[in-house]
Amino acid sequence: MLSIKNLQARIGEKEILKGINLEIKAGEVHAIMGPNGSGKSTLASVLAGREDYEVTGGSVEFLGKDLLDLAPEERAAEGLFLAFQYPVEIPGVSTTNFMKSAVNEIRKYRGEEPLDAVQFLKMFKEKMSYVNIDQSLLSRALNEGFSGGEKKRNEIFQMAVLEPKLAILDETDSGLDIDALRIVAEGVNKLKSPDNATIVVTHYQRLLDYIIPDFVHVLYKGKIVKSGGKELALELEERGYDWIISALGE
Amino acid sequence: MLYTELTSSAQKQALERFKAKGFPTNKWEEWKYASLKSWNEKDLDWTPAALNENSSASLQTQNGNTSFKGALPAGVEFISFDAFIVANPTIAAKWEQRLPILDQNSLYDLNTALVVNTQVLWVKAGVTVDQAITHDFILSAAIASAVQSRLIVYLEADASLTLIERAFTIAGSAEVLSNFVQEIYVNEQANLTYVKEQDLAQNTTHIDHTFITQLSNSQVDLFTFSLNAAYLRNNLHFYSDGEKVVSNLNGLYVPGEDQLMDSHTVVDHRKPNSESHELYKGVLLGNATGVFNGKIFVRPDAQKTNAFQSCKNVLASTRATMNTKPQLEIWADDVKCSHGTTTGQLNEEALFYLRSRGISLANARTLLLLAFVQEVIDRVTHEETKLRLTDKIISKIQTSLAI
Repeated sequence: MLSIKNLQARIGEKEILKGINLEIKAGEVHAIMGPNGSGKSTLASVLAGREDYEVTGGSVEFLGKDLLDLAPEERAAEGLFLAFQYPVEIPGVSTTNFMKSAVNEIRKYRGEEPLDAVQFLKMFKEKMSYVNIDQSLLSRALNEGFSGGEKKRNEIFQMAVLEPKLAILDETDSGLDIDALRIVAEGVNKLKSPDNATIVVTHYQRLLDYIIPDFVHVLYKGKIVKSGGKELALELEERGYDWIISALGE
Repeated sequence: MLYTELTSSAQKQALERFKAKGFPTNKWEEWKYASLKSWNEKDLDWTPAALNENSSASLQTQNGNTSFKGALPAGVEFISFDAFIVANPTIAAKWEQRLPILDQNSLYDLNTALVVNTQVLWVKAGVTVDQAITHDFILSAAIASAVQSRLIVYLEADASLTLIERAFTIAGSAEVLSNFVQEIYVNEQANLTYVKEQDLAQNTTHIDHTFITQLSNSQVDLFTFSLNAAYLRNNLHFYSDGEKVVSNLNGLYVPGEDQLMDSHTVVDHRKPNSESHELYKGVLLGNATGVFNGKIFVRPDAQKTNAFQSCKNVLASTRATMNTKPQLEIWADDVKCSHGTTTGQLNEEALFYLRSRGISLANARTLLLLAFVQEVIDRVTHEETKLRLTDKIISKIQTSLAI
């Protein structure tokens, strides 16, 4: 589904990704872990198409297309979704109105008929139950005055509505208490299918108690320095990152 | 310049004053960004022909000629200013002594000299006019013309009125300079809601002077929606001349390519315990120029005044310019006054967020701009007007961003 080859990116003069290689197949959950500043969020941003970053080398193929050649909205229409670490507050735009625009624009891109108000109502109702989110929250200005937990649930609600092929969760656990974490993780698990894949970017292991990864990768100084199964995450929790870094001879 | 024969000495004097000054140029402090200098050189028709355009509105001003069609609502009169003064000798005396025009400029004199038809919309004491009165302000000329219009709105005590003004140019009109003066008098406990929709042609220059005097316990909600014109200048002056007066000034301007929109507002607090709330927003498209100058005066007697002013602008194009200048002059010591102006671009992070959900860049920008202007539109309680304005603003923004 996703094939990243020798991906390099920088912001300004600063090289952040220094040759990432990663293969993701449908049905898989990959966790990307690593110490602060290792490039985890940059990788998520580059995949989603944030323009602050300049890709200086390598390639990313997503479902047979050159992902780096697509605008952020085209990536979304092709089935890529980024759950933001810091969801943006947008005064004056409600989640429901914005999601209606998004869904119908994506449907147009795919050559599908737009949904009408009744179809939206039915669909939203179903998706709301995934993350236990309230209608009143969705009618309010997007993320404005939302608590940390509400913002993240709103992200997963949007993910449920858009049904992405590949979801990237960028530090979705940050700022969440244990109950909110469980609700968000349950939402993600309900959306899992053999046809889609998930990348979980996280600093801590605790989210991986709820979203069980098939593969764990350690990112350090812009490169994947170690990959393993879910047991690698437990080992990192226990031993920290130092033993990996010292094994690199640094 | 050619003028018709002037009848009264007042008109002759006004004309002399105008001739001495001419149209404002950029050397005049208050007209720095909105010069009308080129009009001094133009060959104009100063007495444009009568118009008879179709309009469904009950109140109509066609090339300066104001009339009322159909039945007047109960308790409302529509008469010439001369007849109004004869019928109300006490008002006549008050009228002569009304407060001086602040920010005096030559255009008021030009209007006084050449206006031929001044009518009064007069709402009697205690009368609530249930249905909003629509006022179509129509311009059309075969050759380049200057049009003078004047309307008086007089609300007696406890009267209540909603006025919806739609200013527009008939398609195919030659160049027009429209100079529109309104004097509005809102007596004790009276209530006026006034929505101005200025959607004029690209060869129209429109100057609107609106002077509003409010007496105790009255409320005015005024909206100025500036949608289109080559040049739009709004001189809006509130005289808060009573206690517990509420003055709400709302403005939204969306100038586009080759358009200039200038809002000069004055709120003059003259008595204690009154409040004014001013909210102006602008979206500047293409190479548009915007100007906001907001003056608040709090006179020595006007203790316990609450006066708030906010002006926020989004430059939706790198070629657009916005000039803002708040001016507060406060002589009373026990008051609450605040002002704030901001001018910026759309939030890049918000744009990326919307795009990451599949919304195109143009639609994401439209969505954010509409969210920005919605705050002003939402304050309009007249539903039909609110919907019409929303449609016009969406279409203007979408068209501009699609280029």
